[in-house]
Amino acid sequence: MSQDNRSPSVRRRSFLKGAAIAGAAAVAPPLPARGQPRAPRAAANPMPPNLAVETIPPPKDPVTQTSSGGDFMVDVLKSLDFDYITINPASSFRGLQEAIINYGRNTTPELITCTHEEIAASMAQGYAKMEGKPLGVLAHGTVGLQHAAMALYNAFCDKVPVYVMIGNILAAEKRGPLVEWAHSAQDPAAMVRDFLKWDDQPASLQHFAESAVRAYKLAMTPPMAPVLLSLDAELQENPLQEREQLQIPKLPRTTMPQGEAAALSEAAKLLAEAEFPVLIADRMARTQAGMDRLVELAEALQCAVIDQGGRTNFPSRHPLNQTGRARSVLAQADVVVGLELNDYWGALHAFSDRIVRRAAPVTRAGVKTVSIGTHDLFTKANYQEFERFEDVDLAISGDGEASLPALIEAVKRQANGERRPAYEARGKKLAAAHAAMLEQLRIDAAAGWDASPITMGRLCAELWEQIRQEDWSLVGNGIGIFWPQRLWAGEKRYRFNGNSGGFGVGYNAPGALGAALANRKHGRLSVAIQGDGDLMFAPGTLWTAAHHRIPILYVMHNNRAYHQELMYVQDMAGRHMRGVENAHIGTTLRDPYIDFASVAKGFGVYAEGPIADPKELGPALKRAIAVVKRGQPALLDTIVEPR
Amino acid sequence: MSDFTTGRPRRLVVAALAASMLGWAANVRSQEAAPAGDAVDGKRVYLADGCFECHGRVGQGGAFLGPAPAIARTPLPYDAFKQQLREPTNNMPAYAEVMLPDKAVVDIYAYLQSLPGPREAKDLPAILIH
Repeated sequence: MSQDNRSPSVRRRSFLKGAAIAGAAAVAPPLPARGQPRAPRAAANPMPPNLAVETIPPPKDPVTQTSSGGDFMVDVLKSLDFDYITINPASSFRGLQEAIINYGRNTTPELITCTHEEIAASMAQGYAKMEGKPLGVLAHGTVGLQHAAMALYNAFCDKVPVYVMIGNILAAEKRGPLVEWAHSAQDPAAMVRDFLKWDDQPASLQHFAESAVRAYKLAMTPPMAPVLLSLDAELQENPLQEREQLQIPKLPRTTMPQGEAAALSEAAKLLAEAEFPVLIADRMARTQAGMDRLVELAEALQCAVIDQGGRTNFPSRHPLNQTGRARSVLAQADVVVGLELNDYWGALHAFSDRIVRRAAPVTRAGVKTVSIGTHDLFTKANYQEFERFEDVDLAISGDGEASLPALIEAVKRQANGERRPAYEARGKKLAAAHAAMLEQLRIDAAAGWDASPITMGRLCAELWEQIRQEDWSLVGNGIGIFWPQRLWAGEKRYRFNGNSGGFGVGYNAPGALGAALANRKHGRLSVAIQGDGDLMFAPGTLWTAAHHRIPILYVMHNNRAYHQELMYVQDMAGRHMRGVENAHIGTTLRDPYIDFASVAKGFGVYAEGPIADPKELGPALKRAIAVVKRGQPALLDTIVEPR
Repeated sequence: MSDFTTGRPRRLVVAALAASMLGWAANVRSQEAAPAGDAVDGKRVYLADGCFECHGRVGQGGAFLGPAPAIARTPLPYDAFKQQLREPTNNMPAYAEVMLPDKAVVDIYAYLQSLPGPREAKDLPAILIH
């Protein structure tokens, strides 16, 4: 970000504190041009009072009003059942903000104050996945949206509905000098349109009402994605005219797109007749019903299931869960059905990151592949998150969860009694393999049990011990540590909440907080495994947690590095035979170490650490969880192995 | 707070030894006995030069571009271990002799063999049974 050399009084944030400055500018002496010397404050020679200016009667323009366009916007937002709106305050939506607070009484929606727009948008992503509906994000039209951009990209990749509203000043003659020009745009959504599903800039309040409902409907129709409305400041702020003429459209009850019945029947036939069918699910289960249906399908077939974890699709301890031995089961597969896979090709291929990049299938020749998902219904061209093309045999366009009932029924029709013994035998083998895998996992977790720094196996075992009898929810697992999804018993959809989607670092802390916000009313114990590098992108997340009393336990995965990148640099140094002694440059967070407990305490969050002795971990977790159960956030700074 | 780095220059790294190597190694017909190495110096090199970044400080395993297997008491014969370092079969970086002298490989191998191996299931910590 470029250096802002302007007077502090006209910087964006400071501008908000003194909104009257624009009006005062008409009578104040002009600011010196940038680069011109300013007179020292102490030597300032105040101008004599300008009596003519101070005594002339004010213009007859109105100075108060009894309603605003923002009030109507609040009515619309209330009709959409928003519980929260995350904001970082900004002048371009001051009209709507004031209406939410006073006209709307700051309830449904309630404003959640964030210290960065990336936090606001990431919270929305985590919240929507957990709660099954969006919250609103209010951002400044230019600089605020620029801050939010990476988080919106994550949400787009993650197929999550995020409902963004930004402020703008459309009419040039209505813009005050300096800031309002710099913070206005012809087409403010342009910079993020590559990763929006839809956007609009309403020209009237009726237009707003219709676009607001349309945006909600589109965001919530699979494939779900962020949407954006750019709201003209005058539309928000000026008096509301003829309220009775304005109509708020009702939000239609929408159904999820389901795969075509004949195609699902064909897929069912393949599955029923297969020797070794495999189901792979990624962003499939939107609700508990989706998870239950996948269990029903797998049990009907007694087949292997691989849960890629974009959502919690399948119980982690289910005997048919073969996620930990994905390569092994895929090597045996003769039919693979992928449910809402974003990277089908990647699931079926090995890829080497070497001088010569090579790929090889992990499945046997002749495997039949079927995809069920909504990816083909909506995609964009520029960003390449759609991954490499997989030439499946049958591509069924339809929502994975919504298509499961018809697929299950078709499978049950196909799976006649003659096949049942073979299914049962297959299921028993898979169950035995699952049990052996879990046993091996426990042995692996015990390796280095007493070592310091703490191993990830020990940390996850200690954390599981403290939460397993609670109604827990792992709302963040920044770098995808595999232990929880394999070692813990996650049998409900909300036990895990996926990942960032676009691998944009900085998601985990605020995304987890958004999910914890959703969990609060359900009384769930929210826990996040939090990377140190990730938290440093948006440490202000902790203040929001404290300010809004959002109960969440952050357990730091503090390896004092951007560790994946450190390993990449080591890899390059090894390839070039130059030694790895400099691999720490630009990749580590040392000298000084970050004292995350002090950082958290500074934001008003209960914290302990650094904890490097594994024997101290259990008692510290007990204390921190007690704080969280009292409705407060807590953080444990645990010093752990890199991976 | 302890400093987990030695502050010494990193000269080498031993990264992801693929699980697939285990099967390959079992088929290696001619295996010389491992040369006698200095486990103490091997630990120093292992920690100072960053082997632990992928495999963990006590060889418990970790991850890079996929799992980096546990290598404490690696079942790989020494020759296969060294071969994997020099010409890895997977995404593990290659470590030429100019980066990693044979003596260092020997010492690292000795260190890994000096570590405790996997526990028996009956000896697991109680909290791992849930």
